Amino acid sequence: MSYEKLFETNISGESAKAWKASGKKAVGYVCCHVPTEILLAADVMPIRLRATNCVDSSDAEAWMSSFSCSYARSILQYLMNGTYDLDGLVQSDGCMMATRILDNWEHIAKKNNKAQFIHQIGAPRITNDTSIGYYKAELQALADLLGEFSSKKVTDESLKAAIAKTNEVRDLIAQLSALRKEAKVSGTEALRVMLANCDMAIDEYIAAVKEFLADAKGRKPIESRARLMIIGSALDNPEYIKVIEDKGGLVVADDLCFGVKAFGDKIVVDDKDVLGSIANYYLNRNVCPRSLDNRPAIHKNIVDACKEYSVQGVIYEKMQNCECWGGEAYYLEPDLKAVGVPMLQVEREEQMANAGQLAIRAEAFVEMIEK
Amino acid sequence: MVETEKKVDYWRWTESNWKNPEIPDWHGSLITAGVDIGSTSTQAVILADGVPYAYSNMRTGSNSPDSAIGAINWAMKDTGLTLEDLTYTIGTGYGRVNVPFSNKTVTEITCHARGANYIYGPTVRTILDMGGQDCKAIHCDEKGTVTSFMMNDKCAAGTGRGMEVIANLLAVRVEDIGDMSFQIDEEPAPVSSTCVIFAKSEATKLMRSGWTKEKVLAAYCHAMALRVVRLLERNGMELDFAITGGIAKNIGVTRRIESLMNIKALSPTMDTQIAGALGAALIGKELVEKKRAKENQ
Repeated sequence: MSYEKLFETNISGESAKAWKASGKKAVGYVCCHVPTEILLAADVMPIRLRATNCVDSSDAEAWMSSFSCSYARSILQYLMNGTYDLDGLVQSDGCMMATRILDNWEHIAKKNNKAQFIHQIGAPRITNDTSIGYYKAELQALADLLGEFSSKKVTDESLKAAIAKTNEVRDLIAQLSALRKEAKVSGTEALRVMLANCDMAIDEYIAAVKEFLADAKGRKPIESRARLMIIGSALDNPEYIKVIEDKGGLVVADDLCFGVKAFGDKIVVDDKDVLGSIANYYLNRNVCPRSLDNRPAIHKNIVDACKEYSVQGVIYEKMQNCECWGGEAYYLEPDLKAVGVPMLQVEREEQMANAGQLAIRAEAFVEMIEK
Repeated sequence: MVETEKKVDYWRWTESNWKNPEIPDWHGSLITAGVDIGSTSTQAVILADGVPYAYSNMRTGSNSPDSAIGAINWAMKDTGLTLEDLTYTIGTGYGRVNVPFSNKTVTEITCHARGANYIYGPTVRTILDMGGQDCKAIHCDEKGTVTSFMMNDKCAAGTGRGMEVIANLLAVRVEDIGDMSFQIDEEPAPVSSTCVIFAKSEATKLMRSGWTKEKVLAAYCHAMALRVVRLLERNGMELDFAITGGIAKNIGVTRRIESLMNIKALSPTMDTQIAGALGAALIGKELVEKKRAKENQ
């Protein structure tokens, strides 16, 4: 098996190191409103920052209050303690908490004389022709600056080549979802596979996922007491899902920005406006309730997924202080109730300090579904 | 010679055991048990053909298996039963995996709903379980099957342990707190309900500023009631409403909950602290009966 690397959830930085050893740049990004196609087109390795297995964010607490989002704070910790050793950071204004990563890292890097490519793009919170136009201009500015930084100009051709690769990844993740539907891949495994995309070189990732899928197709379905879906705040820790699955649930679907939402449908390219195609795609994706006009669509996607994946219960995990997922439960629960799917709400922090509390809730939820 | 004051553990509540006087000698066909090891208390309930036969209610020690054995032995005292006589035993509570003689584990959420259904009857739809270190708002159907639930997170404020801390601080027996909290002229504002340590500091400050113990207790019970009312409101209130767990015995909290929510909780017919263990024993009975029915098909 050469796909074992997919299951290494710790952030090793090996792939980025190897990439940089060839004289190229590797840049971190936060939030899935940063199109990786632009980084790939500039021959820059995109590393989606995550805080998996972070157990202490005390350095970052000097910069971000303990009342901030622990996910964002833990990413800053990983930047500060050298877990990530990258050439820069690109961020969209996905949410205010995550935006503070960029603000603080820009200041800290400057203070420590660490040369960094730092850039923020504005991702509008409504979707219409005007906002897509604005977003496209933001992406163009990013493409121009990255091209200068990497000495490789971003062109329509290089963007199309990048889209071909990311579309291939999207297709593979769709196959992974199909195997989850057949209960051949657990939710824990699936999140591991999807997380590996954050910091592996894309060609290496595609090859590994293909091998994993070929193996997994021949498996027998996993027996479980309840088919579950997990939704909510950024979740980059497969151990969290493992706690749920150890109690008899099988997480067959998700609506997470580190899960299937990070991939989505394929990008359809308009040859006359390649960057516009990317802007249109990313702003129309219903990934996060940060947007003002996509929340009913997100709720509908979740309800539809419950039907498609025969989901018996939804676990809604909310990071403490999460502004995006703070109040969705109020609106979503009636929609789920209408299709007979119960919902369990759980609060969490990036550090897995409350595994026991999650376990008791998950077990009781499974018992409730089993009746 | 220096005389030292004898230390009194004001938080210690009364342990108890009970044997059904209407069943002096049991000769039935099915005996099931439920053992609920909570963070603060452990209960064992024995059912004879589905009827409560005996139970015990004692403090949880530092060793959960010992607590389980201690509780079941105390429940079996004077019944003539031994562990070998138990057809089926279910462990529940935080220490459910540490009941050495159990056949199965079930969460206390499921068990409390089932137990409350037995204690209060099939009209119960909302159960508030106020335990040693957490509280739970549970909805159930007419059979006592859970339909939704919500638990408090992380802090002992609003739980039995928080009440024990205040009992020790004010040197008031925990069982007297409820009555004393009404010996006031006017209901005071609540103390902090977000943290039991903050609440303790605040109570100390109030005592120093001249508040009576009764007034401080009223402020604390008020805060605890407010905290659980928020939990109940988040999960929604459907009548009938019942309270289980140790705090259900504290009228200082329960009456304030009723007042804040403008509802009346059902009156218990049994010790509210045994609801979890009772539910476990009832579930055990149903499982055995289902298994036997299947075998006889």
